[in-house]
Amino acid sequence: MAESEEEVDVLVQRVVKDINNAFKKNPNIDEIGLIPCPEARYNRSPIVLVENKLGMESWCVKFLLPFVHNKLLLYRQRKQWLDREALIDITCTLLLLNPDFTTAWNVRKELAQCGVLNPERDLYLGKLVLTKFPKSPETWIHRRWVLQQVLRQCRPRAAEQKEPGEVELGGAQGSPPNERLRRVLRDEMKVCAEAAGRYPSNYNAWSHRIWVLQNLAKGNLKILYDELSSMKLWVSTHVSDHSGFHYRQFLMKALVAELSRAADASCGPSQDLHRSHWPNGDGVGPAAAEESRTASVPELFGKELELCTDLIETYPGHETLWCHRRHVFFLWYHWRKEQSQDVGRQPSLLNHTDETLSGSLGASAGRNVQAMDVDLALEESKQTSYTQDSKRLKRGPLQLRPGLPSEHSFVTKILSGCRSPEQGRFAAAYRKWLDSVIVAADTRSGSVKIKANMNKRISKRKTKVETLLP
Amino acid sequence: MLVKGLPGGASRVNMKLYSLSVLYKGINKSNLLKAAYDLSSFSFFQRSSVQEFMTFTSALIVERSSTGTRSSIKEQEYLCHVYVRNDSLGGVVIADGEYPSRVCFTLLDKVLDEFSRQVDSIDWPSGSPATISYTALDSYLAKYQNPREADAMTKVQAELDETKIILHNTMESLLERGEKLDDLVQKSEHLGTQSKAFYKTARKQNSCCEVM
Repeated sequence: MAESEEEVDVLVQRVVKDINNAFKKNPNIDEIGLIPCPEARYNRSPIVLVENKLGMESWCVKFLLPFVHNKLLLYRQRKQWLDREALIDITCTLLLLNPDFTTAWNVRKELAQCGVLNPERDLYLGKLVLTKFPKSPETWIHRRWVLQQVLRQCRPRAAEQKEPGEVELGGAQGSPPNERLRRVLRDEMKVCAEAAGRYPSNYNAWSHRIWVLQNLAKGNLKILYDELSSMKLWVSTHVSDHSGFHYRQFLMKALVAELSRAADASCGPSQDLHRSHWPNGDGVGPAAAEESRTASVPELFGKELELCTDLIETYPGHETLWCHRRHVFFLWYHWRKEQSQDVGRQPSLLNHTDETLSGSLGASAGRNVQAMDVDLALEESKQTSYTQDSKRLKRGPLQLRPGLPSEHSFVTKILSGCRSPEQGRFAAAYRKWLDSVIVAADTRSGSVKIKANMNKRISKRKTKVETLLP
Repeated sequence: MLVKGLPGGASRVNMKLYSLSVLYKGINKSNLLKAAYDLSSFSFFQRSSVQEFMTFTSALIVERSSTGTRSSIKEQEYLCHVYVRNDSLGGVVIADGEYPSRVCFTLLDKVLDEFSRQVDSIDWPSGSPATISYTALDSYLAKYQNPREADAMTKVQAELDETKIILHNTMESLLERGEKLDDLVQKSEHLGTQSKAFYKTARKQNSCCEVM
C-alpha cells in the first residue's frame, strides 16, 4: 500500500509531535524501545507511553527515519530553514532512531554553543538512546563533548590548566566541593553500568567510564576505592566480560599510581631517600602515614588476587579470569620492582595514568615492550632489590602476600582438583607464562637468554640477506 | 533463534536465570503446569513476546525429551536445561550461557521433588497455571539468580554424573527429520499473533545492525 508524499508528511509530523508531547507529559522516561508491530495502523499514533517507557511501533520507522533524516540534511545544506524548536525536536527524533547519525549530534552541539540548548539535556537524551543502542559510538563521543562543556562551566579557570593530579571534585587540595560535578559523576557511572549490562563486553561504555574518572575525578582516591568495591559484585556476575575486568585493571593502576605519588609528595624533595624509609619503618608522622598508604598497596593486590582466585575456583574454565590474573600479577610484579630501585628513576609504566581515550587503546600493546626495557635495565640492581623485597614483604599482613611461590601453589591446587579441561589448559598456560615472562626476565641468565636470542635472530637475518645477494 | 530473534534482547554475559517452568509430559504434547520468569534484563517492549517464546521453548523441549533424561540445549547465548522424570513430570530452566549448569540441575531436582509432594499427580495431565496451586517458583528463581548464594551445591563436586547429561547444540537437533522450527512456531498455541509475526520478520533481519 503506497503512501502519498502528503500522507507520509502528515504522519511524520504527527509522530514528531507525539514524541515531544510524551517527554513533556512524563519527564521521567527512562527507556525507549521498538514495539514489534508490522501492521500499519495509520489512524492511531505509533508512539506508546507505558509507565516510564517510550515505545514506537515498528511499522512507522521506515517512513519516519528517511523523512526526518532528509529534513535535517536540507537544513544543513541551507535549502530549508528550521527554527530552533523544530531543530531540537527533529534531532531528538532522529537520534532516538539512529544515534550514530553524527550530523544530528553536531546540530545539537551548535545549539548548545549558542546557549539555546542546555547541554545536560543531551546527557538525558544520550542516556535514553543507550537503553536501546548501548554501544552507539557517536552517542558516547557526544557525551564526552557535553561533559567537557559542563566541566568548563563548573570550573572555568581550572579547565584550562592541565595540572596532573588536580582533584576536580574538591577535597584535599582545598578547593570547594562541587555538587554539580559530583552529581554528574554519579550519573555517568550509572549510565555506564547500565550500558555495560545491556551488551556484553561493551568496550565503548567502559572506555567512557575510564575517561570520566580521568577527567572528572582525577587523583580522587576515595572514588577509585569506591569504584573498585562497587564493581566487585558486577564482575562476579559477569565473569566473561573482559571489559569489566579491564576496568578493574585501570582502577588498580590508578590507585597504585596515586598511592605512590602521594607517598612521594609527602616525603619532601629528596626523591632518592624516601624509598629507604619504608623497609625500616623509621620516620616522622607524615612518613608513617605515607607508609601505611604504601603498605596498603600490597593489600590492594592481595585482595584483588583473592577475588580472582575465588572466581576462578567457583566458575571453572573462564579465560577472562585467568587473563585478569595475569594483568594483576604483572602490575604487582612491576610495582615491586619499582619500589626496589634505589638508583635513579626508571621510566615506570605505572606513571602512564594520563592516557587519553586514544592512548589507552595502545596501552596494552605498549606495556609489554616497556616492561621488557625496564627489566633489562634492572639486572644490576637485582641483587639488592631482592633482599629489600623480602624485607618489605615480611612486614605486610601474612595472608595477603602475592608472590611467585603463592602463584605456583595456586596453579598446582587448581590442576590437582579441576574437572574442566579448559580450566586445566588455562592453569597450565598461566604457569608457563609465569615461568617464561616473569621468571625469565627476572634472572640474569634469563635476560642474557633474551639478548642471546635477539643476537641469534639478527645473525639469522644477516645470513638470509647474504644468501639473497648474487 | 527463538529468543535472540528479538532485537534489543537480553544482555548475554549476565549469569542469569530467565525462566523456570514445571510441565507434564503427556503422550503427544506437554502441559505447562507452572512457570516463573525474570525478564528484567530484556527491553520493556519485548518482554511479553520473550515470555511467550520461553513458554513455547520449554514446552517443545519437554515434548522432545525422553522420560528419565537430563539435557542441556544450547540456543545462541542461552542454555536450556531440562529434566524429565520417569513419572513424566518435567522441569525446564532457561539460563544465560554463563550460568553454571550444575546449579540448574540441582534446582530442577529440588523443584520437581517439592512440586510432586505438594501437587497431586492426578492433577498433572490436565493442569494449567491457573488451576495448579504451587507458589514457590518465583522465590526459587529469585534466590538462584546468584548461583553462589543458592546453596552449597555449587562448590560440591557433582553428585550428578555429568556424562549422563545429553548436550544439544541447537534446538533443531531436538526435532524430527523434516520438521521445521518455523512451522512449529506458526502452529503454536503458546505464541500470540504479534509474537508469530515478529518471529517471521526477525528471522530475516540481522538484528545486530538493523535500525529497526
